[in-house]
Amino acid sequence: MRKGRTMGEIIFHAVMLLLAIIWIYPYIWMFLSSFKVPEEIFGRFFPTKLTLEHYKFIFTMSQKLERPFLRAFFNSVFVSLTVTFSVVFFSSIIAFPLAKIRFKGRNSIFNFIIFQMLFPGFIFIIPLFVLIRNLGLLNTYGAMILPYLISAWGVFMITQSYKSIPNDYIEAAKIDGAGLFWIIFKVMIPLVRGTVSIVGLFTFIGIWDNFMWPLIVIKDYNKMPLSVLLATFNHEYASYVGPLLAGSVLQTIPMIAIFIIFRNQFLKGISMSFK
Amino acid sequence: MKLRTREAAAGWGLISGYLGYMAIFWGYPFIWMAILAFTKWNFFGKPKFYAFNNFSKIFTDPMFWRVFFNTLNFMMYFIPMVFVGSILFALALNRLKYFKTFIALSFLVANISSGVAYSIIFQNIFSDVGPINRLLYKTFGITIPWFTSPQLAMLTIAIMVTWKFIGYYGLILYSGIQAIPKSLYEAAELDGATKWISFWKITLPLINPALTTMLILSTNLSFGIFTEPYMITGGGPLNRTMTFMMFMYNTAFQRINPSYATAIAIITALINYSLVLLIRKLVEREVSIV
Repeated sequence: MRKGRTMGEIIFHAVMLLLAIIWIYPYIWMFLSSFKVPEEIFGRFFPTKLTLEHYKFIFTMSQKLERPFLRAFFNSVFVSLTVTFSVVFFSSIIAFPLAKIRFKGRNSIFNFIIFQMLFPGFIFIIPLFVLIRNLGLLNTYGAMILPYLISAWGVFMITQSYKSIPNDYIEAAKIDGAGLFWIIFKVMIPLVRGTVSIVGLFTFIGIWDNFMWPLIVIKDYNKMPLSVLLATFNHEYASYVGPLLAGSVLQTIPMIAIFIIFRNQFLKGISMSFK
Repeated sequence: MKLRTREAAAGWGLISGYLGYMAIFWGYPFIWMAILAFTKWNFFGKPKFYAFNNFSKIFTDPMFWRVFFNTLNFMMYFIPMVFVGSILFALALNRLKYFKTFIALSFLVANISSGVAYSIIFQNIFSDVGPINRLLYKTFGITIPWFTSPQLAMLTIAIMVTWKFIGYYGLILYSGIQAIPKSLYEAAELDGATKWISFWKITLPLINPALTTMLILSTNLSFGIFTEPYMITGGGPLNRTMTFMMFMYNTAFQRINPSYATAIAIITALINYSLVLLIRKLVEREVSIV
């Protein structure tokens, strides 16, 4: 009885480990294949020799095909970091009066924020395109950044966690002569670090992986984020499997790195999203 | 009292920044959405008043019905797969004693994949000469036209999306299972309940909020699919993988009909929203653990 049970446990764990490896198989395949010589990409799983030719191709050769991959990578970094910083900064500030200052109309504004979150993003895509065109911002970094500078979701998340901070902290800081911004940045934000990092992480990942919007507003290869550049390259040169996979590695690595570094925040963020 | 008013003024100062921004990037598009939906326009000149014609045209547009049934088709594959998969994953996670973090993170990392990159990966893994068909050919002597068969293409996309979301949804369910007190299972065991009965009578009813969340998330996702068909099939074969988002995108930016595309977006949102309400009505139950 006992022995059968341990046997069962071992099999169960082995099966789960096998499944976990199957689950990351696409990543492993992508990573290994980006270093294989072209004949071996579909020929075998483990390469017999490693090559950097695909990476060399996307970093140097692709200039001739008007596909500046390295530049696109830094475009993505720039846009994602700017938006992330802005969302975290403004959400933390705007959430403060909503959570901790009494004034007329506070509840209606909070309800308005919840109302905004009810709308799926896709119904705004075409009208936002009209706005960006009217502002003359097509094909600029501004087109990718400005519509995302402030997020209703970010304000909502941080307001909710500010509410759990006792008012005594704020009163104490006031007695010490602290001003509004000092209270926000030195008292409130450190106390809700968990939520702030969740807002930052999810914003970064969302913007890094944003596809439809930059596809619509950016046609200039030099300003494209990596996701869009990779997609246009896939449409025209789908047979260049090696370089495509090298580009995919480039697109994936920052996300995986952030995921591994901040894995505990991700796990926390998921259990929060369901409450 | 004076401090109060000064504080309220500061509060309004900060809030007005928010409202100002939203007036430009939310209010202005909102008004344009209303204008576009009831006019005819091609990005140039003045929009012409068109009353409800955009909306009435949708319901006689064969492409709209194609897209509608494609989305239902996707949900028929995706929701059962992801539902059963995530419940099994959550139960397994609950039983694991070793390697728990490694296994949870391996499933979750799929969810952090970039839409464009994972489309490229799956396009090649499922291609005619890709590793999956190679394995099938070696063992069974067959290959499957994953993305080129009209019957299979949507199923293959559903498999990709399931791969991406089982880890995420499974962890949502897992945190629901964690919240159930162990004493309930012990009491049930004393009353002679088997594991199977405990699952149906305790676990499943008590994770209802997490299940509802998961169903709503996967419904919303089904209406928002864009990157996968755009990258891999372009909506084909025979328009079988044309989704609402691709339909909207093509109408606005390829066929240069932004007003019709806006009407499509509004109708899509309404269908999505009513489906969510229906799910809440059918599935959601008040749960309280005493």
